[in-house]
Amino acid sequence: MSAKKGPVLRDGTAVADLVDLDLQEVKLRALSDQEIYEIEQRKIFGKVWLLLGHETEIPNAGDYVQRHMGDDSVLVARARDGQVHVSLNVCPHRGMKITTHESGNTQIHTCIYHGWAFKPDGEFLGSPVADQCMHGKMLSKQELGLQKARVTLYGGLIWATWNHDGPSFEEFLGDTKWYYDMLYCRTNKGMEVAGPPQRFIVRGNWKTAGEQSAADGFHTLTLHRWLGEVGNYQSDSGKKQGSELTEEMFGAEVSSPHGHALRCIDLARKIKKLTGKDPSELSVQEKLNALPPPGMTPDMVEQLAQNLSPEQMQVMAWMPPQVGGMFPNIIFEFLYIPQPDGNVVGSLSLHTYVPKGPDKLEFTNWIFVEKDTPPELREKMIQQSVRLLGTSGMVEADDSDTWPHMTLAAKGAQARNRTMKYQALYETGAPEGWPGPGIVNEGFTKDDTQWHWWKYWYELMMAED
Amino acid sequence: MTNTTNPTAELGNSVGIGSEIYNQVLQHYYSEALLLDHIRLKEWGATLAQDLKYTVPVRQTRTVQEIEESYIRSVMHMDDDYGSIMGRIMRLSGKSAWSENPPSRIRRFVSNVQVFETDKADEFASVNYLLITRNRFDDDFFDLIPCQRNDVLRVAGDGFQLVRREVLIDQALLGTPNLSIFL
Repeated sequence: MSAKKGPVLRDGTAVADLVDLDLQEVKLRALSDQEIYEIEQRKIFGKVWLLLGHETEIPNAGDYVQRHMGDDSVLVARARDGQVHVSLNVCPHRGMKITTHESGNTQIHTCIYHGWAFKPDGEFLGSPVADQCMHGKMLSKQELGLQKARVTLYGGLIWATWNHDGPSFEEFLGDTKWYYDMLYCRTNKGMEVAGPPQRFIVRGNWKTAGEQSAADGFHTLTLHRWLGEVGNYQSDSGKKQGSELTEEMFGAEVSSPHGHALRCIDLARKIKKLTGKDPSELSVQEKLNALPPPGMTPDMVEQLAQNLSPEQMQVMAWMPPQVGGMFPNIIFEFLYIPQPDGNVVGSLSLHTYVPKGPDKLEFTNWIFVEKDTPPELREKMIQQSVRLLGTSGMVEADDSDTWPHMTLAAKGAQARNRTMKYQALYETGAPEGWPGPGIVNEGFTKDDTQWHWWKYWYELMMAED
Repeated sequence: MTNTTNPTAELGNSVGIGSEIYNQVLQHYYSEALLLDHIRLKEWGATLAQDLKYTVPVRQTRTVQEIEESYIRSVMHMDDDYGSIMGRIMRLSGKSAWSENPPSRIRRFVSNVQVFETDKADEFASVNYLLITRNRFDDDFFDLIPCQRNDVLRVAGDGFQLVRREVLIDQALLGTPNLSIFL
């Protein structure tokens, strides 16, 4: 019984009873509830590694952006020595927000209320009118700095956690790091943001977007079926609902006990269209030259071998990760989008779904290119990404209209006790010859990845504070 | 339109309010709002020039000294041309564009219209304000999208074609869940 304790809500409902580990169901109550939200802020957003941006947003000493870790505003700033620091954006004096700007550059962050000043690394510099000693003598200057988060950079992405003694970022990624390396760490100079992120509010709970990001493949067939009707995956031979989309999505899915997920999609059809040859007759190198990863041109392909193992190269040319999630609130989209002229143009994007109360999330959308992406391709990628993803994205607009309905539905006295079901399970295992680690299954899509997402949510919610 | 805070600075002579051209421009905007509000998207598409550029910059909260930097044009909320707008119209005219099916109930209030000559005799620039009210399903509130449009219109037949539209929205954190609609 000790395994089943965890928090109990004010009406007597145990959080443990919201997740049925045998039937693989989650009660809708879990989706939208003020008490659960508050527990999540402590047990999830107070514990795990969170994505805050990319270091190319703050290239120079003193550059900063304001971001959020759960409900808390944080200052993400580059110090004189080049290090990136993440500090709580709240003045230790009286709780005023220190920077109210979204971004900028300064060596001194001065609170506009009483003038306490801090360095980009969060250290306390001093208060005005030194001889009056506004900050008193009870606490040392070291003790008056901003609360600091633990920070790591990975592929230039800025991650932070309040859990100073918890798992390393590498431990958090576990086996899936092998795959994320193929995305974020594949070129010599790495990725860069195309610009600051798009940001907009969706009136849905953060988990509606979070669990979908853990590689929900099935929703593509119906929610995004316009793609097969009039969009990029339209085909005369694919008149049956979703059949063209289904074929385009076949591959393998990688699950993680930490809720990370990757949909690795078979490139065979695309490579065959581009080369006229059966991909099995082509070498890894020939396939990568024919269809370089998003953001790359054929003359950049040689960089892959300098950054990835032969096994990663094999997967890159065969079934590269194209879409998936990183726990708790991230989706990545590294897409190969077919063009009307038969070519393929890539899109690189990451979103975070920042919780804004139980019924609201902030959709933050960063669009990336590789630093080495030539200008003409860069422009095409950015335009394509803006047109398909994010605020006006013709694909993701439909998601943003779905999550609010689920969030509202979860409030019904009857509906809150109904469940979301994750019972479509793989029985395949990894594709033959698959060289990568982790929990891998071959097929079109199943619920395993999303179930792993919920299981990790459950594990964290049940854990001691 | 490089100077965002003073968009009329680099434009030509002002076209007087009430003049024939001014009235025609105003008529164009009222007709355009009616077409869009009533989801007559293909008819609206016919009023677009083939060399159209249609953009919605991201906004940021910055200091007053950095106002110009608060308009982000590297990554925008919309970054379209004639072809992609036609693609959007095709999607919205299909049966599965769920973000606008059922459609939002929308009104576009156009005001503060100022018209200017440009260095091309058949093109006029316009700076105008647009207030969009958007309601979906049983929402007992409206999403408000107030913005400024910096347009270029080209004389075509009896009316105008839209050549350039840059929409400056007033929210840094956009309060509507998507821009599946035209501004």
